[in-house]
Amino acid sequence: MSAQKSAGIQLLLDAEREATKIVQKAREYRTKRVREARDEAKKEIEAYKAQKEAEFKKFEAEHTQGNQAAQEEANREAEERIREIKEAGNKNREQVIKDLLHAVFTPTPEAMAAH
Amino acid sequence: MSQVHALSDDQVGQELRKMTAFIKQEAEEKAREIQIKADEEFAIEKSKLVRQETDAIDSAYAKKFKQAQMSQQITRSTMANKTRLRVLGARQELLDEIFEAASAKLGEATHDQGRYKDLIKGLILEGFYAMNEPELVIRARQADYDAVREAAGWASAEYKHKTDKDVKATIDAENPVPEGSAGGIIIVGGNGKIDIDNTFEARLTLLKDSALPAMRKALFGENPNRKFFD
Repeated sequence: MSAQKSAGIQLLLDAEREATKIVQKAREYRTKRVREARDEAKKEIEAYKAQKEAEFKKFEAEHTQGNQAAQEEANREAEERIREIKEAGNKNREQVIKDLLHAVFTPTPEAMAAH
Repeated sequence: MSQVHALSDDQVGQELRKMTAFIKQEAEEKAREIQIKADEEFAIEKSKLVRQETDAIDSAYAKKFKQAQMSQQITRSTMANKTRLRVLGARQELLDEIFEAASAKLGEATHDQGRYKDLIKGLILEGFYAMNEPELVIRARQADYDAVREAAGWASAEYKHKTDKDVKATIDAENPVPEGSAGGIIIVGGNGKIDIDNTFEARLTLLKDSALPAMRKALFGENPNRKFFD
């Protein structure tokens, strides 16, 4: 009877040991999942950041280019208007000078209201 | 006392099998619970981390974009200003050049002495009317003294005719108008304290302000942006 008893107890002890192993494996799985959450999150975050950075760089590049184009356009416009001014000047300066001299040489003596 | 009946071998075996199966089953259920919980926590933790960080990234980049846009606006505005200044500078150059040219021609008035005397008379009269005093002093170029004396006489006569008042105008020979001047006179009144500068140079200088609007219009046309025409 004693031998049977110990065999039985042994079976139970073995079963307990197996049970512990099973639960232990599950706990290790849990630990692993915690780490995986952080690692995967990190990867996704970095990918997102890289994407945003690429968008931003593209934006900057477009606008640098836009600025250059605007600068050239502004220069062209300025030169055109300066050219127009010089033309207008050449066309009209004689008359304007004449008018100025006329004003200098034409006094306008006006009697003031009687005091 | 009732006896616990001893179980047969089979019954023992059966009981043992039931118990070990139970132990195993319990363990597996627990393991499954742990696994499910672990997967849930994984999903929650991962999405929380991702969301936190992407929100921070979003707001950081929103700021970056806004700053880049602002700096671009500033650049554009600076550019527009520079252009405007260039154009205005060109205009001013032209105007200055015209005044220079006019200034150089101020000497033309003295070519015809007759007309010059008449002109001087008019300038003196301007001074008479403005001062409205019985005694005034005239300063002129030394070379003009004779002409000025004659013109002053005509001016006094016309003044008397128009206002019925007498005016005595004498030349201040001690303070002539500087030689470099192209012509014209200065009238001094108020006991020597008030003077009206009617030399050609002074008159042209006054025109630099007063004639500007008309000049701009003559040269450049109307200003399309102008809103007030007081």
